[in-house]
Amino acid sequence: MFPLPAGGATQLFTLAALAALIAGLSAIERKGAFQLMLSRPIVLAPILGWAFGDVQGGILLGIPLELLFLGGVNLGGSLPENESLLAGALASMVVPAGLAMHTGVDAPLAALGLGLLLPLAYFGRRLERAAEGRNAQLLEQAMARAERGDPDAARVNLLGLLLPFGAAAGICAVCVLLSPLLALARLQCGQMVLSALDGAWHAVWAVAAACAIRAIRDPRAPVLAGICAVAVIGATLVFRWVS
Amino acid sequence: MRALPLSQPVRRVSTRSLARVFFRSFFLQASWNPRGMQNLGFADAITPALRELYPEPAECAKAVARHLEFFNCHPYMAAAILGGAVRLEERVASGEAAPETVSSFKRALGPPFAALGDGFFWLALRPAAALIAAASEPFVGLGCVFVFLLLYNAVHLPARLWLFATGYSRAEGVVEAVGRAHLATGTPLLKACAAAMGGALAARGVLAAGFPLRPFQALLVASTMVVAFAILPRLGATRAVYFALLLGLVLGARFV
Repeated sequence: MFPLPAGGATQLFTLAALAALIAGLSAIERKGAFQLMLSRPIVLAPILGWAFGDVQGGILLGIPLELLFLGGVNLGGSLPENESLLAGALASMVVPAGLAMHTGVDAPLAALGLGLLLPLAYFGRRLERAAEGRNAQLLEQAMARAERGDPDAARVNLLGLLLPFGAAAGICAVCVLLSPLLALARLQCGQMVLSALDGAWHAVWAVAAACAIRAIRDPRAPVLAGICAVAVIGATLVFRWVS
Repeated sequence: MRALPLSQPVRRVSTRSLARVFFRSFFLQASWNPRGMQNLGFADAITPALRELYPEPAECAKAVARHLEFFNCHPYMAAAILGGAVRLEERVASGEAAPETVSSFKRALGPPFAALGDGFFWLALRPAAALIAAASEPFVGLGCVFVFLLLYNAVHLPARLWLFATGYSRAEGVVEAVGRAHLATGTPLLKACAAAMGGALAARGVLAAGFPLRPFQALLVASTMVVAFAILPRLGATRAVYFALLLGLVLGARFV
């Protein structure tokens, strides 16, 4: 029997609908509309966590993902990896899995989920390229309509939001529905595997911090970050020793 | 510039239409495409102004078609160009300028404004806001989300509004106004702040691995950070994560 959240299959389907809506909206917010940064992992994962009933789980996933993909910038025609799709899918799978296990999200579960879903960041980029191809067809439509004398020819612009919305919504809903499998896998892990996954999550944090410092793209950044890191570690050790 | 037909009255876009143009500027990249990049979004955004300036549908459609030419800029900085384009369209509709003036204006300002916006918003403000928010998480919990959104959008939204308003009021003069806004001078400060916060987060990772009394793990995490920093440009983030997961699995299994 698969582990399910407290509300059973009904709750799982409700969570899938919620994930589809939130992830779909964030997918269009990422590039096509507003760009208020609501689709960044540091926002999206905690929001999904909050919607599912485990804010802390969302935060645990969102922060390292934000640091990992901080350097991804959409400059001109270049596309970065799709951090929003990954954050949405990861939160959609890992947080409900934590609920199904009645333990919440922990480091081994997060590492397991990340290892499984990381290719979605690449896949999301390919999806975005496909959406751009579809947008080129919308441009043709707009040009034809303008030639025919339609002053609202450019209104087709908004149709470009449909594909990112649908794709992200579908993927994240499927991730929620597959979350019991992840919970089952996590429950099968022995002590040694759990310790290994815990170590893996610490290593992910290490890479995430390195990525974040690289993302600043400033020659002074590593030195400043190093000084600050040493200061924080020193201060914490002194504080702990004193108290 | 074209000779001015004196009989033509000066046409102006109403505040309501300007507000609609500004609102639609938030959808500038909805149909980003490799051929014209933000052209469809730009044409869509400027349509409310064009409808008012050219009441004749066929004439308006012709003006919309003009804006379906290639256009690319930073999505926030494009607000200045959009505002300026509306002002120039008023001149075109009043017969004070040729339609080519608008195209030249868009072509001339797109690339430099894109570079300015990328450097400030994407490469300085966003990392700084995200790293400050991430560093604040142990103290404010879910509040870190609001810290990030507040820090970022408190600059982004007023900047966008100011750029649009300045573009509309000054048209070609927007270059001078943006130059005086010292966007580029704020960038090093934001980057320094981001670097300090990055260091704090790195320390957090080391401390999380090292407590309670696991100095070897802390050292391992610190070494992984340094190695990852060195090899990241060659490896890329995704592959680096897989290496980290693998390394963590191998080493983590030894600490049962």
